[in-house]
Amino acid sequence: MARLVVIPETFTMVNFDHARLVELAEEVAGRVGIPADLEVRVEIDEGSPLGRTKLASVDPVTLWMQGGALENPKVPRTLSDRSVRDVFARLLFRANDRLAPGFAEAPPDDDLTLQQHTAWDTYAVGRSERLGYNPSRQRRLYHFRNRHGFSDVADAVFDRLWSADGLSWADLEAACAETAAGREPAPA
Amino acid sequence: MKKLMAPNELARDGRFVRLNTIDRFSDPRTQRGAGTGGRMGNRLTPDRPGAPDAARNLMHGIFVGEIQALEGAGRTCWDYEVGAGPDDVPFAFKLDMARQCWDEARHCEISVKLGDWMGTEIGEFAETAFLFEAACNPDPVLRLTGVNRALEGLAIDVFNAMREFGVVSGDPVLEFCEDWMLADEVTHVKMGSDWLRRITEKDPERRDKALEFQRIVDKLFSGGGFRGDDEDSPIKLARRFRELAGFTGDEMDELGELSRQSRAEAQAALAARAAGG
Repeated sequence: MARLVVIPETFTMVNFDHARLVELAEEVAGRVGIPADLEVRVEIDEGSPLGRTKLASVDPVTLWMQGGALENPKVPRTLSDRSVRDVFARLLFRANDRLAPGFAEAPPDDDLTLQQHTAWDTYAVGRSERLGYNPSRQRRLYHFRNRHGFSDVADAVFDRLWSADGLSWADLEAACAETAAGREPAPA
Repeated sequence: MKKLMAPNELARDGRFVRLNTIDRFSDPRTQRGAGTGGRMGNRLTPDRPGAPDAARNLMHGIFVGEIQALEGAGRTCWDYEVGAGPDDVPFAFKLDMARQCWDEARHCEISVKLGDWMGTEIGEFAETAFLFEAACNPDPVLRLTGVNRALEGLAIDVFNAMREFGVVSGDPVLEFCEDWMLADEVTHVKMGSDWLRRITEKDPERRDKALEFQRIVDKLFSGGGFRGDDEDSPIKLARRFRELAGFTGDEMDELGELSRQSRAEAQAALAARAAGG
């Protein structure tokens, strides 16, 4: 099983149990298929209630997230198993993709467009659902529509990405091009 | 049936979790100025990375706000007797409150459907009751101004912001639903403006007292500049719709100033905390 190093080790602004967080993250890493000899570094900004997350690096694999991404939205400052599984599965699938040759051409995360981010997230979260996790498909569809358009074309591409396996960066680029072709520019 | 129900007595099923005001404001993260729920600090626009989730969060806040608005208008129908005394209200006023209940009930249903559309579960986010708290003033005129002018006025601003988000993101469902509800909110504020004028026609002192209470509620709900008249306000004052609802230009200027004050006070408090380590 991959080794997860979660920073900080002690949380002072939120009531997160470090041991539980590591346990959940390692469970997800194992199921996603992160190589057992890999160390994954996780940096959590516990001082933020917001929910931004990103794959900061693949060498070494480093995930960065704001504490709000892991919390229970019904009970702020407490850890949510569902949120942890949701976030880690999405980011670790992306990390795994980046370690594969088919994604060698993908730009760094900071250079991805919102459309590319969302297409990749859809592909990742769809796979996490098939692992037996419980992400909200409708929430992801809403994200996708916001970025790719509220249209039948976008919905069809979403369905395809959600149920896909073994895609490459070129497939994600093609999906983005397909929705862009049917999208009108947003009103000023 | 008891009158003047307390906010902690509102009935909810097991999907809802209530966050009390003390817990909400004592979160050490927000005291650092880190924002709440992903929407503080700048306007809700689709080009923000977290915009879809911020819209979901705000929409859920609107949903529980609609429940509380229904409860508030319902209590106003019940809490006062028909008459001409200081604690009484005209029968036609009760009829307007009953109509408002009908509107708010439809808004609840629309909000639930919008939640389905946006991928939000009922009760997914914590609920605070501070909207209903503003609907607990025992004086019917103060309650009217607190709810129908301050809170429903805020609803105009929020619905307009969400409607604009729907337009810019190209979401026809959000745009249509918000536009529909916005029209009702304009009516509710107009009812508040009209009844305030009619009930206090011969009692300017009571009217001033009511308007002062409205200012207090308005300032509370401007929350550190969350709702304001500046371009970078997360929720911008919807001047045109407020005008349709009976707000004067001076009143809106005053609201904008209240928001600036509220923002300055919040920034000063943050600076003081930072200086104190």
